[in-house]
Amino acid sequence: MSWCWFAALTRPLAREELVDASACVQATDQDGRPAGLLAAWPRGRRPLREAVRMDERLLDPGGPPAWVSLVLVPREVAPLFDDPAVSQAMRRVLAGPPFAAVSTLVRDAVHFAGAVTVGEGDQPGQLADDPFARLHPARILRVGPGLFGRLPPPAGPAIQRYSGKPWPAAGFDTG
Amino acid sequence: MADRFGPGGRFPDLELPDHSGNCRRLSELAAGDPLLLHFYRGFWCPKEQAFFRRLVQLQDEAEVAYTRFVSVSVDPPQVAAAFRAGLGARWTFLSDTDRQYQAELGLWETTDTVHRAYRPASFLLGPGLDVRQTWNGYWFWGRPTNEELRQSFRTVTMAIRPDWEVPAR
Repeated sequence: MSWCWFAALTRPLAREELVDASACVQATDQDGRPAGLLAAWPRGRRPLREAVRMDERLLDPGGPPAWVSLVLVPREVAPLFDDPAVSQAMRRVLAGPPFAAVSTLVRDAVHFAGAVTVGEGDQPGQLADDPFARLHPARILRVGPGLFGRLPPPAGPAIQRYSGKPWPAAGFDTG
Repeated sequence: MADRFGPGGRFPDLELPDHSGNCRRLSELAAGDPLLLHFYRGFWCPKEQAFFRRLVQLQDEAEVAYTRFVSVSVDPPQVAAAFRAGLGARWTFLSDTDRQYQAELGLWETTDTVHRAYRPASFLLGPGLDVRQTWNGYWFWGRPTNEELRQSFRTVTMAIRPDWEVPAR
């Protein structure tokens, strides 16, 4: 199990910045207003300075439109990944009703950069209870098709990262 | 005890719905970690309730130890989900409502003609679903204590983690 790069972009982009992206979709907020782009790239060199690591199993080129809770913690206030509050959020994910998919986001070796939580169904209501939104305010977004798929709930009770991968990606391989 | 699946054997890669109804494979749930695979009679059994309370205590250690638990019964997913939530368990429960693997595993509790339940048994599996240790839980005292599980997880982890002895610089 491995990871990919992910970014939520609201700034104007140069065409070449997305040339290697494996997926790129428009996002809107709950009122239908444009909320930028969500994009993903294969693992390798960081494609953009905003990019963070995400469990690549969330990516699905055939995935339907989805409601997403996006928590992106600014670098200057990012807690350690080992912070008890981050651990407790992962425990709540394991214990609670399952979402369609969840991945934490990793910016560097030690800090929690946020999480992507994909909701079940066609309504965003379930995402109001995103456990990671207790760590930093979440943006509820509607994203177009071709980015997120379903990922079965993480196997428990493990909540630790493997070699710095974003949870729940597992395995100590370096891929 | 299911001798075919004793130490040295390889456990079948079960494919069953989890407590949320998602189809899961055992190898996917193990994901390369040591795995405690636990077959239980059902939510209604007081021995199972007592054993689960023990495992719920152990999960606070297992969650930081790159270790997985999976529990299997004939309870349907909704029942397993409710039981799991009531226990506060944070691992995956699998539902074999069709008794798909009961005969193959030799784990049909023939003395119970009402529930056609799984005979309680626990298996400690290595990353390739290789069986490292087994416990017959028909009688409650046959089940592993948390201390026995800690010792077994330590033995397996020592065997599978090449950096158990911290690499010298």
